[in-house]
Amino acid sequence: MKKYNLLFLLLFAVAATLPAQTEKGSIHIKNATVITITKGVLENTDVVVTDGKITGIGKSLKTPKGARVVDAAGQFVMPGIIDAHSHIALDAVNEGTNIVTAEVETGDVIDPLDVAIYRALAGGVTATHAMHGSANAIGGQCETIKLRYGTYDPEELKMEGAPRTIKFALGENPMRVHGEGSGLHARTRMGIEQVFRRAFSEARDYMAAQEDYNKKMASDPQAVPPMYDRRMEALADILRGDIIIHCHSYRADEILMLMNVCKDFGVTKLVYQHVNEGFKVAPELAEFGAMASVFADWWAYKFEVYYSTAYNAAILTRNGVVTSINSDSGDYIRHLYHQAGKTQRYGMLTDNEALRLITLNPAIQLGIEDRVGSLEKGKDGDITIFSAHPLSVYAIPQMTIVDGVVRFDIKEDNDDMRLSVDPEDTETMMLDYDDDHRCMEGTAEELFKY
Amino acid sequence: MRKHTVRWLLPFLLLLPVLSWAQDERPPVTRAYFINNAYVVQEPGKVIDLGGVIIRNGLIEAVGKGLKAPLDAKTLEGDSLYVYAGFIEGLSHTGVPKPKQPERGSRPEVKDPGNPPNDVAGIQPERSVTDLMKADDKSVADMRALGFTAAHVVPHGGMLPGQGAIVLLGGDNEREMVLRANTSLYSAFEGGQRVYPVTTMAIMSKYRELYKQAEQVKGHAGKYAANSRGMARPEYDDVLAAFFPVIDKKMPVFFEVEDIKEVYRAMGLSKELGFNLVLAEVSRGQLVMDKLKSTNTPVFLTLDLPKAKKEDKKEKGDKDKGDKKETDEKDTDEKDVDKKEGDKKVSPEKKMMMDKAEARRDASRKELEEQAAMLAKGGITFGFSTLNVKASDVRAHLGRMIKAGLTEDQALAALTTNPAKMLGIAQVAGTVEKGKIANLVVTDKPYFAEGSNVRYVIVDGMPHEYEVKKKKGPSDPDAVVMAVGEWNITIQVPGQSTESMVTITDDGGSLSGTIASDGDSRNLSGVSLDGDNLTFGSKFEAGGQSISLSFDLIIDGDNIEGSVKAGGFGSFDVEGSRAPK
Amino acid sequence: MRFNKNIILYCLVCLFMAGQLSAQVVGKATKGAFLLKNATIETITKGTVKGDLLIEDGKITGIGGAVTVPASAKVIDCSGKTIYPGFIDMGTSLGLVEVSSISVTNDNNEIGDIKPYLEALTAVNPSSVAIPVTRVSGVTTVIAQPSGGLIAGTASLINLIGYSPDEMYAGFKAIRLNFPSSGARGRRDRRSPEDRKKNEAKKLKQLNDLWEETKLFAKIKEAKGSDASIRQEYNPTLDAMISTVKGEQMVLVEVNAENDILSALKWIKDNEIKAILTGCAEGWRVADEIAASGVPVVTGPVISIPTRGSDRYDRAYANAGAMKKAGVTVAIRTDQTENVRDLPFHAAFAAAYGMGREAALEAITIVPARMMGLEMELGSLEVGKIANLFICDGDPFETKTQIEQVFIQGWEIPMDSRHSLLYDEFLDRSPGVKN
Repeated sequence: MKKYNLLFLLLFAVAATLPAQTEKGSIHIKNATVITITKGVLENTDVVVTDGKITGIGKSLKTPKGARVVDAAGQFVMPGIIDAHSHIALDAVNEGTNIVTAEVETGDVIDPLDVAIYRALAGGVTATHAMHGSANAIGGQCETIKLRYGTYDPEELKMEGAPRTIKFALGENPMRVHGEGSGLHARTRMGIEQVFRRAFSEARDYMAAQEDYNKKMASDPQAVPPMYDRRMEALADILRGDIIIHCHSYRADEILMLMNVCKDFGVTKLVYQHVNEGFKVAPELAEFGAMASVFADWWAYKFEVYYSTAYNAAILTRNGVVTSINSDSGDYIRHLYHQAGKTQRYGMLTDNEALRLITLNPAIQLGIEDRVGSLEKGKDGDITIFSAHPLSVYAIPQMTIVDGVVRFDIKEDNDDMRLSVDPEDTETMMLDYDDDHRCMEGTAEELFKY
Repeated sequence: MRKHTVRWLLPFLLLLPVLSWAQDERPPVTRAYFINNAYVVQEPGKVIDLGGVIIRNGLIEAVGKGLKAPLDAKTLEGDSLYVYAGFIEGLSHTGVPKPKQPERGSRPEVKDPGNPPNDVAGIQPERSVTDLMKADDKSVADMRALGFTAAHVVPHGGMLPGQGAIVLLGGDNEREMVLRANTSLYSAFEGGQRVYPVTTMAIMSKYRELYKQAEQVKGHAGKYAANSRGMARPEYDDVLAAFFPVIDKKMPVFFEVEDIKEVYRAMGLSKELGFNLVLAEVSRGQLVMDKLKSTNTPVFLTLDLPKAKKEDKKEKGDKDKGDKKETDEKDTDEKDVDKKEGDKKVSPEKKMMMDKAEARRDASRKELEEQAAMLAKGGITFGFSTLNVKASDVRAHLGRMIKAGLTEDQALAALTTNPAKMLGIAQVAGTVEKGKIANLVVTDKPYFAEGSNVRYVIVDGMPHEYEVKKKKGPSDPDAVVMAVGEWNITIQVPGQSTESMVTITDDGGSLSGTIASDGDSRNLSGVSLDGDNLTFGSKFEAGGQSISLSFDLIIDGDNIEGSVKAGGFGSFDVEGSRAPK
Repeated sequence: MRFNKNIILYCLVCLFMAGQLSAQVVGKATKGAFLLKNATIETITKGTVKGDLLIEDGKITGIGGAVTVPASAKVIDCSGKTIYPGFIDMGTSLGLVEVSSISVTNDNNEIGDIKPYLEALTAVNPSSVAIPVTRVSGVTTVIAQPSGGLIAGTASLINLIGYSPDEMYAGFKAIRLNFPSSGARGRRDRRSPEDRKKNEAKKLKQLNDLWEETKLFAKIKEAKGSDASIRQEYNPTLDAMISTVKGEQMVLVEVNAENDILSALKWIKDNEIKAILTGCAEGWRVADEIAASGVPVVTGPVISIPTRGSDRYDRAYANAGAMKKAGVTVAIRTDQTENVRDLPFHAAFAAAYGMGREAALEAITIVPARMMGLEMELGSLEVGKIANLFICDGDPFETKTQIEQVFIQGWEIPMDSRHSLLYDEFLDRSPGVKN
């Protein structure tokens, strides 16, 4: 016992003194079946990552200097999985006090110590969309993060250069929290529509006042700018097209409603989240160019998802809507490859179509498809290695690589992978797994759960 | 129930309406003091053996060897005592009563929880802590008893509770305590109670917005002052105005951080907005040492620590027993069944798992304990903040930090010279030097030595004396303790003490008794004797309140000593002896 | 559906009759004799057989080559297809819960703490939309269980076909006990460990008192048989407990935390109870102890997160396999309502993470059948057993595999559900955007 303690103390002491792991790495994966997503499936192929970027995909490639060599014969290599809807690695999810909170940013509450990050890596995930919750019609701005587990610095998780996104929410959740919970607007889907129209209109006024000031400024030294307002700034940026809307939605009518609002205000960057009834309005989504990020098979847990189908992803895909499968869960994020596989049971998508749902398509929805989502020269070295074809239920992730750095290796897994431990924590089992769904975390109904 | 109250309860009654009493006050006989033949630690590493200190009118008049006692000075016996500069709290709530906390989960009455009034939202940067202090708050005496003589204090509250002040931990009223007012803007990642901003993300956003609005209003006001005719007038907003000195870098922002993530967040805000940042309540700072160094951010480390491992005691015990205990205490919750089942074998795999979990907790605890040592080794200058530590834990925690590698000089520096410099009061505080404010701690052994006692704490030239308390605890276990009989006791309530007689009788196995004063007596409840420890209770009603007294006394032959807890008024010392037959 | 022209035709008729609005009724099952020809038959208990399988009168009446076929039998060509016994899920809320967030559609959680007299079967809604959704995946039989309180009520095994609960009843009932626990209910459970401990002790005492009272109650009841003068007050609680306390009826003991499992085992042993442990999320921590006790386990959901932050990432997946390896009899459940259809995937994850495919397959077929004493009727493909089975085009654990036809109690089930019907209606929507 004593000896053991000592060994561990030593290990942790060493770990604590090491500088943060180098962000970019080099790796040479050999002789694998490589699923590129964009350029077919290549047998007996090498993938080479140099300093974080893919520098080669082909046969018998040269190993770059200092690169780790991984023999992946008999194994399957695919792009790192991307989750377009997640709440892991966050210290807060909902600022549920106002129906519009466009000014808050989940980027301010990244939790790099969340062990769920490691667990997601162990499920082949390399990037997630760390989203605000669905308590507010206009929630907070979200952060696209890379799962660089091992650092204490929240900034290091942020995917540099990823476009800004914001969470919107329709239907039951904002209606319950604000209309029913606070007795303020809105209690109906009619009311929710007006929240958007009012917010966008106010933002237009704000922009106009700013423009006026900018015009006057040069000639009139007494010109006074409108008072700085972060909520209006964020909304204005949506109208300017600088922020992609990711909207929590379920019912066909509300999906159509938001498209109409967006049309009226000239907003075009729109991704629907969950969008359980997206299949009913797939042609409209395709025409608008709106995208859909869906559950593989969740339904019936509340009324607005009662008329759902697990064939949603297949119908959307067949109708030309860019579709992804997301987790919205600390559990499901660990087997998105399995969730994608369900589109073969429910709708018989091809292997490549199914895998696109968790790679290139979510990348497109987050605006990072030039960086990740497929295995191509020049893209980021975000790679996952599976023991079998990733759509097989028997496939087990073997290694997950982010920017060429191995962040999960099944052979080096050390059971307890938490980065930080509470010395007073007795760490007993939790009877219910409320880490799992955090979409409504921080709202009153959750507060009063106990 | 008697309508009139017994006389011996009077001192307690005095506590009821106000916690002060002004009758019979007279000025001190002198304001000059002399300490001689002491071991004077002027500052870490600079010591005068058999030295003296002369204090007059609140200032240190002289320090050195061979000083002569001034004729008008009261001599404080300094023989074999140790004199240090008074300690300084880098950031604390000492002397600032905590407002009542609303019930958890409740929401204050507001029209729109998304847009509450500033005070409900915890946005009150315009407040000054000097308006919120209470000189007689218990925390002042508690911290002073440890050797703290000055503190940088801030209000309680939400994300922007108000402005701090540097105060001395002595004085009859709040005004007298203040050394410098409005020295800092205090900030914390502390959200509103179900009103905006609740979460850290909303706090961060609001912080940015307020700061930028303040810059804007300030700019506008400047322009307006220069050329106001025809110009829209700037809005007067005392919340935004409170940021002006911060924007001018005349006032630093003291950010309280709960963990390493909040260190990053506070530093991020400072970098983005450009204010001068001071971090307080830092823990595991060694993990961000490089960043602290490169940004030159002043830090105050938390004096709070997780509970110590009980291992220390066990090492003395026999080894087998020690090992077993370790398993038990690990997770009382988790391991109960094993205990019930007695000598049940734990599988090697499971044991390994348990050991590993334990090792991780140990490592984590160690990381917290050795923070100060690691930062000192890394060349970072730091003080201590005391927002979250209990006064009664301070000395033990310092001891654990020293055990984890902090040198005593480094610890002393973190309590004296470092905070004095970091708070900009090195001219007047932090060392034992001529001309500085007479803030001193006098102990009977070196401060950090085991069993050392604080004998005097001198604040602003006024000495506070501390009796060395006799160790309470079981004496000779074989001694027969006689509780039965009559005891004369004195209850020491500050400002007034009173004597009463306690009579304990044996009713054939069980004890009962009375307490009496001035011929008035009442019954005791729950009289019990455990070894030499006599406990009993009593109750009285006054002013519509029922106050229960619980006595906890140790009998040592014919002497009795201990304390009495009087409802919510705190504990008071009790002394006494067996009444002569 | 997409494989059976008759069914499609039938749907079209339905659609037509419904005025072409969205179709929500899945159609009618048919009963009779069915010959499944040239199949690969995974019997579970008797290996893999190539040949035919005959269904008559709701039972399997022939397997293999030499099968006498009545002329009326409908022949289904199964060349290249595999037949499996219907999967059994020993822990669901199917039929009891329709939309979990709407309380008036939840019939699983009655008020009260000790309510063994409650019959889940009473509240099983044969028309629950989730039933067709579930059975087309090959899950033919489930336990519908009540929840909440110390004794939640009496759970029932149901087949996923029938117009009344009685028609659905599949021959097994058990009282469901939520074993007292000192564990936290979640991150926001603010009770102190002491309070939780106290609560656990209180519950355990309640439980033991219940046992004692029931014994006395049973004794008096027996005495009443021989002495008509004895009066006994109406006491549904104790009356419902008699067979359980006597060890005649099975108890489903829901227990998950390591310590609680050990306490439960001791309690089961002390009271000589016929029990099945359910849940057992931390069963791997005490697998040897469970194995030694001989008490069988129904574990799941397999696809879930580990119970503790310090656990290896795959502990939940590997739990079933670890217990099985230690010698525990393990069945797998989903503990689900609307997605009981995922049962084969839960088994598949257990298979991949240490249990092996064969054992995982048994864990949702013959093992649960044996646990419930129904091994002569359910859980494998054998002559004389109830015809609960399905035809598929591959390994039913794989998501790619299509389940083509399901039979329950010999009924040929329409292969439709709300999900497939919405697919059929909206894949190529008409009218489209521009009509």
